[in-house]
Amino acid sequence: MKKDKALEDLFLAQKPQFDDSDAFMASLTKRLDAVEYLKQYQEATIRRYKMAMVATFVIGIISGAVGIAFLLATPANVPLFTFQMHSVILQWLSENSRIIVAIVLSLLMSFGLISIIANIQDIVRMRKKEYMLYATSF
Amino acid sequence: MTREEFITHVEREQEALRGFLLALCCGKKDDADDLAQDALVKAYVSSAGYQDKGKFRSWLFKIAHNTFLNHKASCRTMNSIDEARTLIGGTPADVSFAHQDLYLALRTLPPKERSAITLFYLNGYSIKEIAAITDTSEDAIKKQLSRGRDKLKERLKL
Repeated sequence: MKKDKALEDLFLAQKPQFDDSDAFMASLTKRLDAVEYLKQYQEATIRRYKMAMVATFVIGIISGAVGIAFLLATPANVPLFTFQMHSVILQWLSENSRIIVAIVLSLLMSFGLISIIANIQDIVRMRKKEYMLYATSF
Repeated sequence: MTREEFITHVEREQEALRGFLLALCCGKKDDADDLAQDALVKAYVSSAGYQDKGKFRSWLFKIAHNTFLNHKASCRTMNSIDEARTLIGGTPADVSFAHQDLYLALRTLPPKERSAITLFYLNGYSIKEIAAITDTSEDAIKKQLSRGRDKLKERLKL
């Protein structure tokens, strides 16, 4: 596509000259310094987040394993908990206490695993948000 | 890309970038410089993904173009030709208003036509390069250039 000569001459005539390049670059350098600072702050936050996540995971696994080991170690014919009151429902709970405790422990461990996955997704989202934050905070 | 490499590239390209955004912002220097700074920060943040193939300027202009479009979308100001008529200098030979005519005429173009015209006439990019920068097809760029040129010529009486 050919250029229109009159328009081309007009654009070339208006080509701007900037005599404040030093000030522009100085302002940009300050912004980039702020970006670096925010980056380091975010990295430190993510590191703390990861450490807390690992600690929670380890404690959860150990607690769950200890709970299941206790469950298996107790005699099968002895209920884990009993109630002093007489009721059909409470009687049923007492007779099935081992199964109930096993289900509760499994649920707790599942919730722990799901929260770990959610935390990992949060960390990934935080990393993506970093770029938006740096790009739009000035 | 290290920060020092980035700064070196920017020092070389910042005048062209600011000139491009000045035309897009129709002569508003403060707006253009703000957009230039935003675009450069975005470029720095995503510079890890930039593969140095000698097209730093095109890559930078692409980011600047998107920054401008996002800014326009958030502003949503309406510009009319009536405003242009009231601000044009009365003396045809008045050189100081020559650029003002062009900026006011550019303001009446939609953002995409304005970008295409500026990249073609001010920065000397080819249609293929403009299509890559603006993420549009070459046919669409040709139409934008044709429409933009006709509108500018009519308004500037060229």
